[in-house]
Amino acid sequence: MSASPPRVAGDAENPLFRRFTSRAGEHVLIVPYSRIFDLPPELTPRFDAPDAEMGRLVAALATVAEGEEPLDLVPEPPPQAMSLNVSSACNLACTYCYADRGSFHGRQPDPMTPAVARDAVDRLLAGADPARPLTVGFLGGEPFVNRALIHDVVAYARGRGERLGLDVRFSVTTNATLLRPADLQLLRDHGFAVTVSLDGDAAVNDRRRPRRGGAGSFAAVRRAIAPLLADPGRAKVAARATVGGDDFDLAGRFDAIRELGFGEVGFAPLKSSAGAIEGDGWRRYLAALSDLARRELGGTLDGRPLALTNLAIALRQLHRGASAPYPCGAGGGYFSVSAQGRWYACHRAIGDPAYELGDNRGLDHDRRRQFLAARHVHAQTDCGACWARYLCAGGCHQEAARRSPQSCDFIRGWLEFCLAAYCELVERRPDYFHPRRMEMAS
Amino acid sequence: MSPLPPVKLVPRNVAAVRRVPRQAADVVVVAGNPMSTRLESGVGNCFPGLECDLRNLERRFFPFLEVDVGDNSITIVAADAAGAAADAKARGLPADGPKAYRTIARDLAAGRSWQVRRLQGTFGSLGELTLDIATLAAPSSGPGRQPPDAWTAVRMLTEGTAVVLSLRGPGNAALELTGNRTRYLDDNGALADMFLPGEMTQSLCSPWTHDFRDCGCFYWASNHPDIALPPLPAAADPSDPQWNLSAMWERQDRTIATPPRPATADDPTPFELRHQEINGAWQTLNFVVGRREIVTPLGAGRATGDPLASGAELARFLRYAAGVELAVAQEYLAAAYSLKPPDRLANPLADDLRAAHAELMRIAIGEMKHLRAVNDVLRGLAAPGTFQPALQVASRVPGQQPGETRPVVPRAATAAAIRDFIDIERPSVSVDSVYARILATLERDGPHDLEQSVRTIMAEGEDHFETFLAIQQWLGRHQETDYLRSTTGAPPPAGDAGHKTLQAGYLDLLQRLHRGYTLGGTAGAPFVNQARSDMVGPIDATAQAIAERGFLVVFDRIDDPRFAPIDPP
Repeated sequence: MSASPPRVAGDAENPLFRRFTSRAGEHVLIVPYSRIFDLPPELTPRFDAPDAEMGRLVAALATVAEGEEPLDLVPEPPPQAMSLNVSSACNLACTYCYADRGSFHGRQPDPMTPAVARDAVDRLLAGADPARPLTVGFLGGEPFVNRALIHDVVAYARGRGERLGLDVRFSVTTNATLLRPADLQLLRDHGFAVTVSLDGDAAVNDRRRPRRGGAGSFAAVRRAIAPLLADPGRAKVAARATVGGDDFDLAGRFDAIRELGFGEVGFAPLKSSAGAIEGDGWRRYLAALSDLARRELGGTLDGRPLALTNLAIALRQLHRGASAPYPCGAGGGYFSVSAQGRWYACHRAIGDPAYELGDNRGLDHDRRRQFLAARHVHAQTDCGACWARYLCAGGCHQEAARRSPQSCDFIRGWLEFCLAAYCELVERRPDYFHPRRMEMAS
Repeated sequence: MSPLPPVKLVPRNVAAVRRVPRQAADVVVVAGNPMSTRLESGVGNCFPGLECDLRNLERRFFPFLEVDVGDNSITIVAADAAGAAADAKARGLPADGPKAYRTIARDLAAGRSWQVRRLQGTFGSLGELTLDIATLAAPSSGPGRQPPDAWTAVRMLTEGTAVVLSLRGPGNAALELTGNRTRYLDDNGALADMFLPGEMTQSLCSPWTHDFRDCGCFYWASNHPDIALPPLPAAADPSDPQWNLSAMWERQDRTIATPPRPATADDPTPFELRHQEINGAWQTLNFVVGRREIVTPLGAGRATGDPLASGAELARFLRYAAGVELAVAQEYLAAAYSLKPPDRLANPLADDLRAAHAELMRIAIGEMKHLRAVNDVLRGLAAPGTFQPALQVASRVPGQQPGETRPVVPRAATAAAIRDFIDIERPSVSVDSVYARILATLERDGPHDLEQSVRTIMAEGEDHFETFLAIQQWLGRHQETDYLRSTTGAPPPAGDAGHKTLQAGYLDLLQRLHRGYTLGGTAGAPFVNQARSDMVGPIDATAQAIAERGFLVVFDRIDDPRFAPIDPP
């Protein structure tokens, strides 16, 4: 008999709602389960000075609904996604690399072998929920340094998945410089989610993402990725730019990357390596990101697709009411496998014993439960009083120690922007979240 | 802290839409259905009705068959051969019947049809007949008359009596089936098992709002209005006659600043929404409250009584309230039986009497339901094993002013008596004020699941008040001498045998209720059911006989402490 799942109780005194305003009117976010309601004008002031009666209303709206998982649960879902750290080397020498170009500071000296990769895939396929898609991702270093392994694993996982009736999908994060025609075909044929690391135009990118000898990488990226952008097949290609504390011209970078033909561009702020955003930099980053997002949202309200991934993903999550006590799937539905076949909760923690929760032979469930219980947002002392706690959940575990009032203000500011943007979007383009209806109508 | 205004929060995202209240979390389940769901508050007629279509009952009038009934045809649409076989086996019957069912089922499956040509049976007041379905026609009058159409014929078949169907099938094949007309209800009064969920509503107008468009007959129930008083703009004078003329509820002109065109007997259709418009704009139709359309949210009415000081005082009030229900039921019964029988009188007197008698009896029965509800509340408040039924009759009933009471005086339905009945049921005063204090106490102290019972009693009191206003109107247009059996209204003389029988029956009734309430639940149900049967059976017959002799139907004081008079608290 299995014990009842562990829970981490929240504090009843924590805020249950956040009132906000958009160009569509007044709204309230009910913090648990991220429910968004429009407020009639006469009720709005009551939310600014809530009394017991308001408290009852909000508490009623904040109760768990059918099909929702209570937020105090420590879930232990079957792993549904994994990343394979296939390469311990990289042809670039980016200034901020968390992975030390794939070697993880000596903790992953050798590349992954096909046997280790296949064992990991077998383990994932054996335990996953067959009703939902599975994802096998490739990371490094630069994954395509170990190109043969990627081709081998894709064929193997696809074959195994078909025999087991599983929907296996693939993803890769790459600098794109080493891509060959056969690689592009693999990405197209197997519907890869391809994330290309690219920081901006040639000047920006080459300064931050040089080759090992110091030469730039931009020209190589442009050359290598162009055929895939022109003919993506079933692949979905996006660019991701890392933003440090020294340059907040996000719009300039966004436009430069879009010019290459990328349909989706996202930004990731650098928090923990050299050149990270700190202090007042967060306010400047928020301003830059919001300005760009406002500009892009304008185009979307006029009917154009939304190319800014940060906003597009946030809007999708707000629409369905994403609400979780964890910032990501680390240690839950997601694991990252080292070249040695060890399973870590997160790809950034390869070689870190605190994140090692098993290996290709199986997970250590007690360790996993402890890992998750300790990282539940209710266990984070400084998150309880924040209305964004189930949208942010404390942010990346790896970067929790670097959390600062300014970085939290950025999160809240960005979410406020997204909440308002969401309400405006569904007001102006009610079809946005129902694209199939549009297809049927056309 | 101020109460929240009645507002509607519009859900924006999927998570907000998904938040359906979980029963356990924030929905309080109370015993019983709201009044608006009861059959008597619906428009359950046959063409096709709004809540249900009674014609669907007749589709299963014959065992193991389902039929379509037309004016001059009865077509079999389904035959339950397996059910018929199992039934025959269980009852040890020969296999001929099930064989016929099998033949019909097989033919139906192959697209070959079977019709009822002749219907032989007992047709209620028309007696035993053999009908040729194809020749039924209206009008049919005089001695030996037949039902005017097939549905009426089937409708008139007496439940449980033998029916013989002569059937014609493919190639002029003939079959005969014998069975008893089915029972539509089971022993509990619920629809019999043979009816599938949804059957009673399968032939309704959809949407029902179309029905009004085509049926502007000024008779619809107030919860499905076809005419209503128009919404009052804030600036309008509520007493201004132009705002007090009923208008078409589905009028095209939706402006509210000026009084709409009054509803008249003229063809309303040029001024009403068309079908297509209704489909697109049904949500602009206004709610009707108190016969008037409203365009702003309706706040819940609040009981205004002061809560009582203690649980003991609450129990005293409840026992007295039960006594008042019994006392007024006695007054209403005396009034109901004092009315002349309408059968040999001319209209409109006959119709007015019929309606007044039916409504007086309905209200008296309603008070008996309240008696039960109050006892249920008392049971809910009592510690386990300590509940004692409240069946004492109030010595005096509440008057119009706080603290004022009047004696209980059973009397004929004179104009003065009806005025008293109106007063005692008037909202916010009299009996209502007693319940208001009970409700306020429950709202303050709980248990909250008992509140709804009290709210229901109060809401039904308002219905009684409205009904007495109508009775006043019906009887008020006639002389008391024309509609009362006796204007003197004297009780039977001492030693009257009928009166003695009535008192004995009444004591039995109270004892059965006492036993039933004490046991409670299903254990007590047989006793309560027997009491009910007595009321509408022998006690009613005895009371009728007393009334026919020109005496008032009254119930004597009983000295048994369980039923002895109870004074106001």
